Amino acid sequence: MTQGEPATKNPDKGYVALLGWSLNAVEALDRFDRRYVVVAPEWAEKYCVDHEIPYVPWNFERLNDRSMEIAETLKDAGVDVAIPLYEETVEWAGAINSVLLDNPRLYGQAMLLRDKALMKRRAQLGGIRVGIFEEAHDRDDVIRFLKRVNQTLLKLDGDPNDPIHLKAFDKAGCLGHRVIRTPDEIDMIPEEEFPVLMESHLDGWEFAVEAWVHNGKIKFLNISEYVTLGYSVFVPATPELERYRPQITAQIEKLIKTFDIEFGFVHPEYFVTSDGEMYFGEVAYRPPGFKVFELLERAYGFNAYQALVLAFDPKTTEEEIDAFFPREVVDASGIAGCFGVYPRRRVVSELEIPEETEDDDYYESHDLSTPLEETVTKRTAFGTHWGLVYFFGEDPYRMRDLLKKQEELDFYV
Amino acid sequence: MKPTVDVSGEAATLDKRVTSLDDAIQAMAETRDFGKHTKLRRVLEALRRVLIQPGGAAAVQARAQALEEAGLFQGTDWASPEILVPALVSGSLHSGDADTVVMEATSELRMLAVARGDFAHPTFPAEDARQFLSQVLAKNLELLFSAPSEAERVQQGRTAQLVRALFRHLAEEIGYDSVLDDLVDEIWRILRQRPIQVEAAQSLITRIAIYRNSPDVALGVSSGQGIDRLISSLYGTTEACREDPGIDVFRSRLEAMDAGGLQYEATGFARAMHDTGLVSPYHAELLRFLLSESEHLYLVGEALGLSDTGRNCLLRYSQLVHRLIEVAVHPQTAQCIYGLALLLDRGILYEPPVVPALWRQLALELSPVAHERLTTVFGETPGPRARLVAGVLSMLGLPLGVGQGDNPTCQSARALSMWAYNDPDYLLQVVVWAARDDEILMHFEGRPISSKDSVSGVASTLPLDLDPVSLLVVPHLDRIYAEMGRRCAERPGDPHRWVNPEFHGWWTGRGFHINVDVATGNLVDLDEFLRQFHASYHPSYNGEQPLIHPQPAGVAVTDSAARYVGWHAITILRVAPDPQDVMRVYFFNPNNDSGQDWGDGVVVSTAGNGERFGEASLPFDQFASRLYIFHSDPLEHGEPERVPAEDVARITGYIERSWGNDRLPGGTLQALERPTSL
Repeated sequence: MTQGEPATKNPDKGYVALLGWSLNAVEALDRFDRRYVVVAPEWAEKYCVDHEIPYVPWNFERLNDRSMEIAETLKDAGVDVAIPLYEETVEWAGAINSVLLDNPRLYGQAMLLRDKALMKRRAQLGGIRVGIFEEAHDRDDVIRFLKRVNQTLLKLDGDPNDPIHLKAFDKAGCLGHRVIRTPDEIDMIPEEEFPVLMESHLDGWEFAVEAWVHNGKIKFLNISEYVTLGYSVFVPATPELERYRPQITAQIEKLIKTFDIEFGFVHPEYFVTSDGEMYFGEVAYRPPGFKVFELLERAYGFNAYQALVLAFDPKTTEEEIDAFFPREVVDASGIAGCFGVYPRRRVVSELEIPEETEDDDYYESHDLSTPLEETVTKRTAFGTHWGLVYFFGEDPYRMRDLLKKQEELDFYV
Repeated sequence: MKPTVDVSGEAATLDKRVTSLDDAIQAMAETRDFGKHTKLRRVLEALRRVLIQPGGAAAVQARAQALEEAGLFQGTDWASPEILVPALVSGSLHSGDADTVVMEATSELRMLAVARGDFAHPTFPAEDARQFLSQVLAKNLELLFSAPSEAERVQQGRTAQLVRALFRHLAEEIGYDSVLDDLVDEIWRILRQRPIQVEAAQSLITRIAIYRNSPDVALGVSSGQGIDRLISSLYGTTEACREDPGIDVFRSRLEAMDAGGLQYEATGFARAMHDTGLVSPYHAELLRFLLSESEHLYLVGEALGLSDTGRNCLLRYSQLVHRLIEVAVHPQTAQCIYGLALLLDRGILYEPPVVPALWRQLALELSPVAHERLTTVFGETPGPRARLVAGVLSMLGLPLGVGQGDNPTCQSARALSMWAYNDPDYLLQVVVWAARDDEILMHFEGRPISSKDSVSGVASTLPLDLDPVSLLVVPHLDRIYAEMGRRCAERPGDPHRWVNPEFHGWWTGRGFHINVDVATGNLVDLDEFLRQFHASYHPSYNGEQPLIHPQPAGVAVTDSAARYVGWHAITILRVAPDPQDVMRVYFFNPNNDSGQDWGDGVVVSTAGNGERFGEASLPFDQFASRLYIFHSDPLEHGEPERVPAEDVARITGYIERSWGNDRLPGGTLQALERPTSL
């Protein structure tokens, strides 16, 4: 039957506030037993009112004197905990939760998780291996860093440089991520992007982890394998990567201890080098991009947003959360992956899924948009893809090859 | 063993895709209404991938109820099957947008599940579903019999094959017999409107004839009532061509016949032609044969099935008529015989300019452009001049058979029809300008407009799906019409006020009434508008004056759910009581099929309510409720104040329940409605 009514709510369980608007999250919570309220900018109001979605308007700009106001509002409403859905709402969640849970340290913790430079320092202090990094305030800083790094690597004049990576301090994922190999490329960086974080390039296999934490313990740990960074990801990973699971688990335990994380959800990125050494890249305290939550639901059948609520809700019991999660890897019904499409041509007129892709058994769906303009903006940084193509199948290696193959195909012609 | 492997491979692929579909349906079902659209893409992709597999249609049919209940159709027209219209299915199925095709195909399979009793639908009975599908099949029978056309292939790619697989499945499940009945009814309904262009009907009849003769088909005794008449009127009209022997055999039989036999042939063809509106190629051969022997000439009138008026015209202008037959009538152009017969019956040869104008037509030198366009569309045999003369005969004989094809040029089609009906020698003049000079010059408020100077018309591409006269003339008229509109662009109010009289002819009333405010699109002066319409056209309020000249008018076309579709140009022909004594407006719609459901009980009738061939009709107040522009003579006042307030209120109710509901901006040229075709 068409569902016109939300699921029955359990008054003995927690009441959560979602910070930021995500239809997928709202939709998942709507059919879950926790009471919830959406805290989002005013543009979401009409939609929420029209569809009877509990809603509090709030503009997440920079934290200011009014920050207490939203915390108090939510407290008065009986909300137990706030859950950040986007990078921009992580510090808000920290500020609000420090009030709701009466724990001022949560705010400081959130600030650590929001600033990539602070984050790396804290990790380093906790004994976690990180690459070389530094903040840059102008182009000269970048030139100096590029030279230093390559000096350290004992490169001679004329040898090709090892690249360095530039990232915004407080942006999610690939936004503002640039790879720099030569001083010429430094001139291309617009003034307004500074200050940035600079990192040495780690040659290794990059992967991401999604871990749900309850009472300081990992309740579910997923390893997301990247085929090509910024293009494709799939879950669960190949056995090749999964064999590092014990070491990876140990790393995450170290991470949550270092960052003092008692509950919630972390999404860190690591490199594993050929000798099995793990390097920490960064960690986010919010759901990952690239629709990994949706992939997890496809592969395992549990809803990752509902899992998020369980991990944040102080009223969740150990038994409840243990019963919610399936067993990692073995309980997955298959491998779910997705590929981010960027137009390959300079001028495109229509969306056309390649027959090769469409005919593949693993192909399931896509959320690509029809082109609005014919000329494709030249990509600077990593940029934003035009949508994702979803796949599902049994064999992780076939999935990996299939995703790799997509990079050579034109989806926009 | 290889085929088995392939089959099991296909089955495995289908299984996988069906599993994925079930998963997607489940995900959508679990989602509350506001989030359904986030799950839609996956369902659509899964559906498409299942539908292109062999056996996929059956798999979707089995899940029809689950799909509807999951909310696939929610928020779309498909959500209410009771408002769906079989005639619109074809448009969706031929859409270039794969999602539209998939939704439409899935809706058909839902209908099938309902029709077969597998899905007890809350608002749609099984019998209605069966009927709906029969009509869908009837209107899309070409999907059962033919491969995708080049256009479909280019536009739809593999989706075109999906649609064909769907139709094979539908026909197998519903049965061909019932399709045939509806198809035949549909062909008769179209032919009763006596269109000039009958190619679509002819090709359907041909396909049915082939289908019926196929050894695999066992038709029920009662199926296809009335199809025999259609098939025989094309391929076996009389004794001498009963078994469709081919033109040469037929000719030799004619040569061996005595006068009685020939007379019998002539009346047989004439009866079939006047009965169906279709003309057999053998009929053309008979006429040519009769002309070749002076002793048989007296049978020409017989073979045309003429009335007294027609016979008179034939006797008076026999030389011209014989020449027209010699030039224009060939087996490939046989259809123009019907036009010739009706032209003679109309008596228009007695209008002084018409006969010399037809002689000019017979001798006309075509411009290279006209020559090329005619041969491109109609082929080399007979030549373009013959085609054009044949086209002229058809248009003069069937002024209300003009259709706009699949083009937004209702204004031009209306003008041609109006001239053929009301001012035939002017039509002949316009044809000469277009065909010989490749230029038409008209005047707008004293200033000339050449079709050569005007850049663009309403239609963006040159139309091809038209009769010979329209094919040559419409592109010129369209540009002139658009140019007249441009010259009024600066003026306040609706441009038709000035354009209609200048474009159509002096008889167009200079009084202009519109009930839409062009600037805001809102309804204005409704009471006054409706009273004036009564006073100008309704015999009870205009002093019992029948309409003298056809008048251009504009209607707001609505769909079967009474929603506004677009402005459309029509001609008001007459207002008179029908056989049940209901006052009706009889009008011409340049759309190819006038029988349309405009919603809220307003169903345009084409036969059975006193309509002459080609006329559409509505009861007076229903017609008034869709009218937004009409012309009248400003010196004839009528008695607007005598129109009862309740009549005005009733019509206003119709308006408010349909296109007046939330008024869209007006003032664009009447060219937006796309016609439906057979």
